[in-house]
Amino acid sequence: MSPITAELGKRVNAGAETNAFKCYQCKRCSIGCPVASYGDLHPAQIMRAVQLGDTDAAAASKFIWLCTGCETCTTRCPQGIDIAAVMDELRKIAREEDKVNKDTGFANVLKLNLDSMKRWGRMSEIELVALDKLTRPSSLMADVGLGIKMFGKGKLPIIPGRGDRTQMRRMAAEAERIEAERRRMRRVPIVDKEGGE
Amino acid sequence: MTKLAYYPGCSLHGTSKEMGETAEATAKAFGYELTEIPDWNCCGNTAAHSINHLLADALPANEIAKVKVDMQLDTVVVPCAACFSRFMTTIHEMGESAETRADVENIVGRPVDTDVRILNLVDLYYDQIGVEAIKAKVTRPLEGLKVAAYYGCLLTRPPKVTLAEDPEYPVHMDEVLRALGAEPVQWGFKTDCCGASLALCEQDMCRDLIRKIVGNARDCGADVISAACPLCQVNLDTRQVDIKAADPSWQQVPILYLSQLVGTALGLPESQMGWKRHMVPVPALG
Repeated sequence: MSPITAELGKRVNAGAETNAFKCYQCKRCSIGCPVASYGDLHPAQIMRAVQLGDTDAAAASKFIWLCTGCETCTTRCPQGIDIAAVMDELRKIAREEDKVNKDTGFANVLKLNLDSMKRWGRMSEIELVALDKLTRPSSLMADVGLGIKMFGKGKLPIIPGRGDRTQMRRMAAEAERIEAERRRMRRVPIVDKEGGE
Repeated sequence: MTKLAYYPGCSLHGTSKEMGETAEATAKAFGYELTEIPDWNCCGNTAAHSINHLLADALPANEIAKVKVDMQLDTVVVPCAACFSRFMTTIHEMGESAETRADVENIVGRPVDTDVRILNLVDLYYDQIGVEAIKAKVTRPLEGLKVAAYYGCLLTRPPKVTLAEDPEYPVHMDEVLRALGAEPVQWGFKTDCCGASLALCEQDMCRDLIRKIVGNARDCGADVISAACPLCQVNLDTRQVDIKAADPSWQQVPILYLSQLVGTALGLPESQMGWKRHMVPVPALG
């Protein structure tokens, strides 16, 4: 077993603006989580992995990409930990450390979703579905029949709605610049197992 | 007519057009004109907050600035539960941290006064219009209709952000349904997540969640489910088609928007309710 280090916990706390070290494993998060039984780990195990500094268990898990963001864990945590924000932060760390679980499609869907809104100012549902099919082979045949039925019901307009695209691009660029700078400052090497602080 | 700012979000212009149309039509029946925020952008949804936290706050903040300054209004109707959650989160986070406020205003490019009321679909009927005013306008009471009031996740959670009455068993929607003459049922999955954000990649999981939610509503006597979130409605409505295809014994339950139920009880024309856009057939109501 690798030595316990605080680096992952500190980084998660800074990004999620919460204190994951307060978790005492009551498991209320896992009991209330609607998707706990579908992943490799459940929320309380993720919290423990964060406390132990086990990046390979936490950031590389499939569970963080199954989290629906329903906020039941955050609402019920007796320690007031924003557990859903911890999952969000682990998704960012997984991207940065190139540890995105291979057995998930959600990372791709989220990125395409953000790209779509940056392109049009608004998110185009049909574009999201089409690009997901092109970039993620396992999605190619999924829900084709359902999609055709939805299209027939007029639920998937072809022409994307447009918002204020200039402002969208300006804001996205500025937010990305600031966020990248902050994250660089916080990015203590996560593999440092010396823990000599 | 009293003007209220209106943020439809991407869903109400796409998969859930009928939610937007009935929200506007019913508000109008009570003297409220929902005016779209000019050139509105996407709220950022799950994608923004799981990739770039500051952008997730800046997107709703940019719309709030337009409501206050450009439209000179102080109330905005945000019927989509996911958009509502993003707007409330932004207001909460800008109120909690001066640093976040400074960053967000810097990104938006102007000061953002967050002293603005955000109304979701239930709030529009319960807080803005009021149960008594609704009762007084009902011409086609939904007598004998048993309805499961479904909130899903984001209308109530987390309560420090949404300021919800009761995050585990909220009842404002039930009160609105009662005012329409319908009978709300007690059931167990009122605030459970339907998994809609993962609809494109975790189909089996979504089907399981939907079977639990819809099955429990049916077991508790509901004829229909009332939804106040476009993502929930689309997920529960469209996925039941798959579920039935795989299991012909599955008894489908129609998923209606609260706004469609209000419109029906007010006697608005059937043709305005958007029933033909539903996948699960909708029975005659009232």
